Amino acid sequence: MRSLLKSVPELFVLIGLTVVAYIIMFLFNQLQGTDVLSPTGMWMVVVGSFLFSTFIAIIAVIAGIGGGVLFTPVMLAFTSIDTVLIRATGLVVAMFSGLISTGPFMRKGLADVKIVFFCAVPIVIGGMSGAFSAIHLSKAMGATGDAIVRLLLGGVLVFIAFMFIFGGSKTEYPQPKKIDSFSKKLGLYSAYWEESLQKVVSFQATKALLGFLLFFAVGFTGGFFGLGGGWAVVPVLNLVMAVPLKVSAACSGVLLAMGNAAAIWPYILYGSLIAVLAVPWMLGQVIGGIMGAYILVRIKAGFVRKILIVILFLTSAKLLSRGIEGLFGIDIPIF
Amino acid sequence: MSEDRPKPALSGRVYGEIIYWGTVIGSIISIIGSMITFVTKRNYIDPGYLLSAIWQGKSVKEIWEGATGALPNGHWYLQHLFTGNGIAMAGLAFGVFVVVPAIFSAAIMLLREKQYVFSVLAFIAGIITTVSMFGWISI
Repeated sequence: MRSLLKSVPELFVLIGLTVVAYIIMFLFNQLQGTDVLSPTGMWMVVVGSFLFSTFIAIIAVIAGIGGGVLFTPVMLAFTSIDTVLIRATGLVVAMFSGLISTGPFMRKGLADVKIVFFCAVPIVIGGMSGAFSAIHLSKAMGATGDAIVRLLLGGVLVFIAFMFIFGGSKTEYPQPKKIDSFSKKLGLYSAYWEESLQKVVSFQATKALLGFLLFFAVGFTGGFFGLGGGWAVVPVLNLVMAVPLKVSAACSGVLLAMGNAAAIWPYILYGSLIAVLAVPWMLGQVIGGIMGAYILVRIKAGFVRKILIVILFLTSAKLLSRGIEGLFGIDIPIF
Repeated sequence: MSEDRPKPALSGRVYGEIIYWGTVIGSIISIIGSMITFVTKRNYIDPGYLLSAIWQGKSVKEIWEGATGALPNGHWYLQHLFTGNGIAMAGLAFGVFVVVPAIFSAAIMLLREKQYVFSVLAFIAGIITTVSMFGWISI
């Protein structure tokens, strides 16, 4: 704790300011109660959102996924808040832990700026193409087509999760047998200090062209189905391009933040992001994001792999259930 | 042992620092805005109404029409920077905005480091984000 205070004093400034602000807001609350919420109930919604957001952010940063994967299903399941507001706030949740953890990751060399920009462009362009295609193809494919693709996607995620399980520790620091000439020419290599092993880990990414195409597909699928890209960035970087698992998780967080920064502006411009709801989620992501980044630097890669496997199974269960619901018109009551 | 530690690329560090400190500043602005929202009457929209309407499940259109009569268009908070709502929203928007200067700064640093392919990719990413920020493209 003392070392964290010494290396990130701003974290404690933020925590202190937030705690003081919430105490003042409780003591001098000027809000008028309504039939729906009392002034204290309003305060509790804000503080509860902040605490839950902090917890989500720590998990999201360690696993390299967007916090939206956890936020959106929970909000849709347990509140009656409008889905557009949930999606807009979900983008805040998905991006702010990534934004704040970008600093520590880049400082420590855990995220590589070349990998980030190499992946960013196909994901963003793929995402926009996917979203446009969704609008144009929805009539042709209908709900059945949507359900089939969700099922397929769920199956792919189960397959990826099993690859992480059976790949074992080989996926933590992968050693590619051959580096193709395109990847060599690109110079997608780097090295970082691995705190948990107390040694330098060097790596050279391979299959860069295949990775580029897959990132376009990831972006396209994410844009088409509104999933975002968080579910697949780590598997593509780690399992296809042979980037170490912790570097993949760090790059994924940085990438998600960048991609969502482009996606969130339309919501801001058209009033779908309402500060009184979004700010506590943002603050939780910032504070939890800093904590998560410092935890990721220190923990063993095997722990990251286990978290990722659980999240992949959870996400695939959701996709498979929605696919089955769409195909057979039945209700599967899982998260 | 520490002399063996590899030094991360300057382009990455520049990108990371701009985003990190921009997000910290944006968060502090939002904390102040939230406090003003709760403990004063200086608000563009009544926060009690907003929270209740959100909690009731009202749509974005219904919420704004009930509060101001119409949906906002553009960066509405810039005209209300002396209200709790405006300050909180401006802090959030500032946190998102910092990505733009960070990407372009990294692109310039990558150019200096003679990483031409990645510099071009960074410029493309920066242009897409800027275009989205001004509302020139939306999906």
